[in-house]
Amino acid sequence: MNNKTKKILHSSEFYVGVIIILFCLLIQMRSGQFFTGNNLVDIIRSFTIPVMFCVGELMVLISGGVDCSFPAIASLSMFVVCKYLENVTTNPLPFFIVAALIGLVFGILNGVIIGKYRFPALIVTLGTSSICWGVMQGVFQSREYPLCPALLAVGKAKLLTATNAETGLSSDLPMITVFMILLLILGWFILNKTMLGRGIYAIGGDIIAAKRAGFNVFGTTVFIYAFSGMMAGIIGVFRACMLQAVHPNNLEGLEMTAIAACVLGGVSITGGKGTVLQACLGMALLTIVSNSLILLGISTNWQNVVTGLIIIAGTAATAIQNQRNAKKLAVKLTES
Amino acid sequence: MKRKVISMLLCATMAVSMVGCGGGSDDASASAPAESEAPAADGAEAEAPADGEAASGGGGALEAFTPADGSPVAVNSIYKPAADPSDWTIAVVVKDSSNGWFVRMEEGVKQFASDYGINAYQKGPVATDAAQQVEVIENQINQDIDAICVVPVDPATCDTVLQDAKDKGIKVICHEGSNANCDIDLEAFSNAGYGAYIMDNLAEAMGEEGTYVTMVAHLTNASQNEWADGAVARANEAYPNMINLEASPRVESENNSERAYEVAKEVLKTYPEVKGFVGTSSMDTPGIARAIDELGLNGKVFVCGTGMPNECRELIKSGSIHSAQLWDPAEAGYAMCVMATMMLDGQTIGAGSDLGLASYSDMIVNADNSNVVEGAGWISLKADNVDNYNF
Repeated sequence: MNNKTKKILHSSEFYVGVIIILFCLLIQMRSGQFFTGNNLVDIIRSFTIPVMFCVGELMVLISGGVDCSFPAIASLSMFVVCKYLENVTTNPLPFFIVAALIGLVFGILNGVIIGKYRFPALIVTLGTSSICWGVMQGVFQSREYPLCPALLAVGKAKLLTATNAETGLSSDLPMITVFMILLLILGWFILNKTMLGRGIYAIGGDIIAAKRAGFNVFGTTVFIYAFSGMMAGIIGVFRACMLQAVHPNNLEGLEMTAIAACVLGGVSITGGKGTVLQACLGMALLTIVSNSLILLGISTNWQNVVTGLIIIAGTAATAIQNQRNAKKLAVKLTES
Repeated sequence: MKRKVISMLLCATMAVSMVGCGGGSDDASASAPAESEAPAADGAEAEAPADGEAASGGGGALEAFTPADGSPVAVNSIYKPAADPSDWTIAVVVKDSSNGWFVRMEEGVKQFASDYGINAYQKGPVATDAAQQVEVIENQINQDIDAICVVPVDPATCDTVLQDAKDKGIKVICHEGSNANCDIDLEAFSNAGYGAYIMDNLAEAMGEEGTYVTMVAHLTNASQNEWADGAVARANEAYPNMINLEASPRVESENNSERAYEVAKEVLKTYPEVKGFVGTSSMDTPGIARAIDELGLNGKVFVCGTGMPNECRELIKSGSIHSAQLWDPAEAGYAMCVMATMMLDGQTIGAGSDLGLASYSDMIVNADNSNVVEGAGWISLKADNVDNYNF
């Protein structure tokens, strides 16, 4: 066995990938509809928004923190721009820019508190999250709100339409998917090709070691949370576009999905380890599960149970693989 | 020192955010009254749909705001009050005076005032906030009023202040949230009756035949499941050719319109025989409609269910939603004031009471709580009437 295949076989990505493929084949066998164009488009569409959140969350997790505030930041930014810009401009771009700036402010707030005072990230982001929900509801009187035409057009823009020749059902792939791909590439680039990315891994591995190695720990921490917040602002507006309406509480609870997806894919919850591919695979598994249980013919009463079982199976695969890798590492160290 | 300041700041922001959240969640319930706690279902109201047909007529009349039968003058002459009714003052206190839902309710209160020649007005806090609402109620009962109608933000918070009102001899009426200290609670409808009404609309859309699926936010949600049960019961009883999909009779939207969209698509992919959806949460109906629209099934698959006018307007006009159901806050406001008048006049409100509107003309007493009376105050939004509502 050459080194490359060995490496693949020993990666947790491989096992999550195998589980996904087996699950897809099972759905295909039961329903005969998994590998149809319109079904795949549906799944990609459903995957788009959550996986974008995963990029920011991934960076935070790698650095050893956790970000629970992005759904609140996204909702606040989305609501504010949709409510106050609709009569100002008919160009969708300012909506995204202002939303990104609002997200950036809250992200920097998270980053500065966590970076400077080393408070637990979980508590700080829960706090910012509460503040955002509170501001949105108290100050801005959030409620369901019709979406302005400029953003409606963004939501309705489509890359392609997949029609199932047999059933005649068609599904649209939204243009927003392009942004998703760009964001995933950006996340991969930052983590793998820049000194900043190395710094994120270094902080997550050992913060003191990272400091001694000359990484700017404070700056890097602020960047991570600022990036997560800024992207949250933009993604919030995208969600409104896809919903074709402004639902202030639509994203509530998505932080757990994003964290679960990352960990399921093999990202370490204690920091130092994780890749964009792992986050994508984790989210892909979650998305496929939640969009296929009816296709599998599982009744609503049992869907949560099945979802739980699949999540545990997926986590077990990555956990066992990680433990194996860790053991090997230990052996090597004692040998040398 | 710096740390101390920061920790104090953090404490302060947390406290603020808690207050914000408290107010916020209430606001959410105000903006989506369809999800607010409705009274427990009354199994005995199997014939409620019959009232439903009468009510849809009433809905039409309401837009113009003419009481269903009998002019106000006639009503006054029937009541023969001890004191002169024109001296009575009725205050209506709502959750939030700026919310579109309650702006619409105020129209009903004003209409009542002009129809009956009685001083009735509406007040409310500027934001949906339980404590602020108590203040507004206090202010009102300290003025010389005869009856107060409250749509409580939080029924428990109003306990003391409503007891004060009763002690002063003021008649207390609640709506959408029964309080131990209210004389009577008015609800727009019974859960089973509302479900049946949705089914009547869906049956009309589907030509009274075909397979349908019901959607709720969660299988554990009490009122929505009672609506869905009411819809299924109505279909079983009145539309023998309408079948609830056996493999997956009820699906969940998690109160998320995107989820409703995804689930509806999955159902339609898996079970092509499905021709109709009953949506119960106000998130279900628009989500399902988007799925129908995108799949190219407009006119072949239909959805009826709870929906807010602003949210559903475009989807109704484009034909993706056949009709959206809800209750009209203006009617409820009007009916509350009529109820107050009748109580001031010494009449007892009970089964069969007529509140002067077609949809509230034959009140039903809730089987589980005799303090709660229910009307048939549902309405259906279609392309021709949705523009009359702005909330």
